Amino acid sequence: MRLPLNQDQRKGLVGAALLSVIVLAIVGTYALWGESYQARILYATFVNLLVVVGLQVFTGNANITGFSHAAFMGIAAYAAAICVTPAAMKLISLPDAPWGLNAFDLSPIVSAMIALAITGVLGLLTGLIVVRLSGVGVTIVSIAILVIVHSIFLHRTDIFKGNQALFGIPKVFGLPHITGLVIIAIFAARLFRESAIGLQLRACADDEAGARSMGVDVYRVRLIAWVLGTMFFATAGIAYAFFLGTISARPFYFNFVFLTVAMLILGGLRSVSGAVFGTLLISIGLEVVRWLETGPTLAGLKLPQMLGLSGLLLGVVIVAVMAFLPNGIMGNREIEDLFRRKTKGD
Amino acid sequence: MDYAIQQTLNALSFGAEYALIALGLAIVFSIMGLVNFAHGEVVAFGGYSMVIVSTLLTNSPWILMAGVLIACVVASVALERVAFRTVRGADLTTGLLTAFGVSIILQNLFLLLGSPRPMAATQFIFLDKTLTFGSVRVSSLQIYETLATFVAIGILMTFLRKTTLGMAMRAASLDFEMVRLCGIRANRVIAGAFAISGLLAGLACIFIMARRGSVQPHMGFDPVLVAFVACVIGGFGSLPGAVLGGFLLGIAEVVVLVLLPQSAGGMAQAAVFTMVALVLIWRPDGILSPAREKGDKI
Amino acid sequence: MLQTSSLKAFHGPIEAVHGIDISVAEGQCVTLLGPNGAGKTSTLSAITGTVRATGTIRLGGEDISRLPVEDRCRRGIAISPEGRRVFANLSVRDNLIMGGALQPDKAQLNREIEDWFTHFPVLGERHAQPAGTLSGGEQQMLAIARALLSKPRILLLDEPSLGLAPMIVAKIFEIVRDLKARGTTILLVEQNASAAIRVSDYVYVLNNGLISSHGAAANFGDGSDLMGELTGVHV
Repeated sequence: MRLPLNQDQRKGLVGAALLSVIVLAIVGTYALWGESYQARILYATFVNLLVVVGLQVFTGNANITGFSHAAFMGIAAYAAAICVTPAAMKLISLPDAPWGLNAFDLSPIVSAMIALAITGVLGLLTGLIVVRLSGVGVTIVSIAILVIVHSIFLHRTDIFKGNQALFGIPKVFGLPHITGLVIIAIFAARLFRESAIGLQLRACADDEAGARSMGVDVYRVRLIAWVLGTMFFATAGIAYAFFLGTISARPFYFNFVFLTVAMLILGGLRSVSGAVFGTLLISIGLEVVRWLETGPTLAGLKLPQMLGLSGLLLGVVIVAVMAFLPNGIMGNREIEDLFRRKTKGD
Repeated sequence: MDYAIQQTLNALSFGAEYALIALGLAIVFSIMGLVNFAHGEVVAFGGYSMVIVSTLLTNSPWILMAGVLIACVVASVALERVAFRTVRGADLTTGLLTAFGVSIILQNLFLLLGSPRPMAATQFIFLDKTLTFGSVRVSSLQIYETLATFVAIGILMTFLRKTTLGMAMRAASLDFEMVRLCGIRANRVIAGAFAISGLLAGLACIFIMARRGSVQPHMGFDPVLVAFVACVIGGFGSLPGAVLGGFLLGIAEVVVLVLLPQSAGGMAQAAVFTMVALVLIWRPDGILSPAREKGDKI
Repeated sequence: MLQTSSLKAFHGPIEAVHGIDISVAEGQCVTLLGPNGAGKTSTLSAITGTVRATGTIRLGGEDISRLPVEDRCRRGIAISPEGRRVFANLSVRDNLIMGGALQPDKAQLNREIEDWFTHFPVLGERHAQPAGTLSGGEQQMLAIARALLSKPRILLLDEPSLGLAPMIVAKIFEIVRDLKARGTTILLVEQNASAAIRVSDYVYVLNNGLISSHGAAANFGDGSDLMGELTGVHV
């Protein structure tokens, strides 16, 4: 049997498999030697990984920076959370919810499907606007989406509880689930990148007029990537809600946007492997810095408490990468390219 | 009637503040294609400079005002030197992300070196008095803010039209390389743009501090976000567009506040941003977008 | 006045000029001829410093090949670039002020600008109009005047006749001849071979980024043979 894949996609399968091995190795290391509190950190890293790989789909391939991913993640997280939380619990947590939102509950799978569908529809609607704009226009509208969604979260406290926690969400996900999702996401992003549409999208990023003249329907390929990207964000949002059991509006805003964008550009936004490496590197770095931030005692020296150090580091990473490594660590390369001898002039 | 006058003045003063900050963004963008999101941190730095100067030197509001203006100009020019020179000529996304990075760094530096909590700096609050004209009660701060903004715009226009450096800035917004081919130093033009941008930020800072009476690490972010939107509405890189966009946003905000019921006050920002998205669908390059050469440059 | 040796010019990774030696003596008018894509404009850009280049460029004996764009202008290189590139949003007068931005004496600069207005009355009539509203020929005059107001030691003229009506072309070449008569050193890039040869002292022919032939202008006759070589159309 022949897989209906092109040559690049088959090469992509190898790369995605290699990345999956890395992901599994991390999980394995945790299972053998990790401490239980680290499960939460690992889970959060994998949620970020889902988002960053999703960012690579649109921002990376089209080379247009969007900032709305936290909004889509939030929409999916809230949608899934509201659907899945038992009605009895919602009578306490959302007593004033309109439209009978607190009067039903659904199974986790159906809830996730509904969350994906809602986010997908919103992704499609926003996508129809976004893909017609020029580079900076996309950035602006994506910021507008982020701000609009965030102020709705904050203001409609009857549905979203604003900055307070929406609690009582059944904790149905664990590390195995997110690991599976991450691996699926890596394969999906890689196959998309190497697909005909992914190639057309990358061609548009290099030379839009040229790609157009070769018959590429720029709007169509951008729209596909945009909507596909929102699916990744939605998945991340659902996974986030299903693990923590409580969500609030605060994480779905600029700080998270910067964190994930920094991860993407450090790794190199043109490559899926770059997205993975960037996420892992920054996650490890932040854990170290967060520990320093609390003012630990190091070799008998009591360090002062330094709030803001992690944010500072993030900013420095962004600025330094942009100044000295504008293509990120990986540039245009994928993981399997690191193992090959130079064959062509690349 | 009084209500109408008060709301008009509200709209004008909101608009003035947005226009000042938006102009600062636009002048840098028009010359080097950089969306300087760190501009808000220049405003915040002005606020911190008040705290520093008043602790070390004096509480005289006039000296403090001069201090804020100088601090903002120095900060703005220094940012260009340290951070933005390396990405000069890079594409828009690179510049935008660098600016975001710088913005994050500065916010966290304020957090580390200052305090996560607001620090009081109340020396300018005296600007805000309630004036009564017959039956109309208005805030003096709003009047000062509106007037100062118009004066600043007037001075800026004169500068851009009459001085060689100002002309070079206008010329550079169209063809920077040709300006250099005339022997005018690129560094000087760009430093000039950042200095003006900083001066406008300083002016905005004075009024923001007069209203807030305290300084806080993240205080620059929201104003710059709104100013960014103002630039977008007016057409990025267009100076008249930035002013127009700023005032339109001021008006829109007041209209939304007046029209929406009290309970929906939190939705004002959402409503304004929705309008922005609609404007962009209508005119993707903004209302007063500058003419750009679309053809290949050889 | 100006010498280049093994000058190479690059557009990104692409080498457009593969190492050429040209020299322009003081008071001379030297022409670079060549078909489209031969590297003429790239050569000028290498001299002004706006593209990446290797090799040496000497102006009056001084090596300027490492200097940034602005400093080369300050040393005395001025250009009227391809496509004129007048500042369309500035008035005609402001364009000229930009050209003379390096002159410290503003009163003197104003007098010189007035001189240009009497020289090119059509610019004088429109001194307050945005330069973008001028016709092609007027923009070309403005670009030349702007370049000369920086008091250059050498003037680079990139295809001043491009896209102009035949009568205007004749007028532009008249201006070039006039400038030369007043002692201006000129490096001219042209496709209009016969007209260019008539005003020049020396000619270099560029092909595919290399000099294919060079010699005193007189050796090239009226340029009709060259036109055939350059365009591939032999009449």
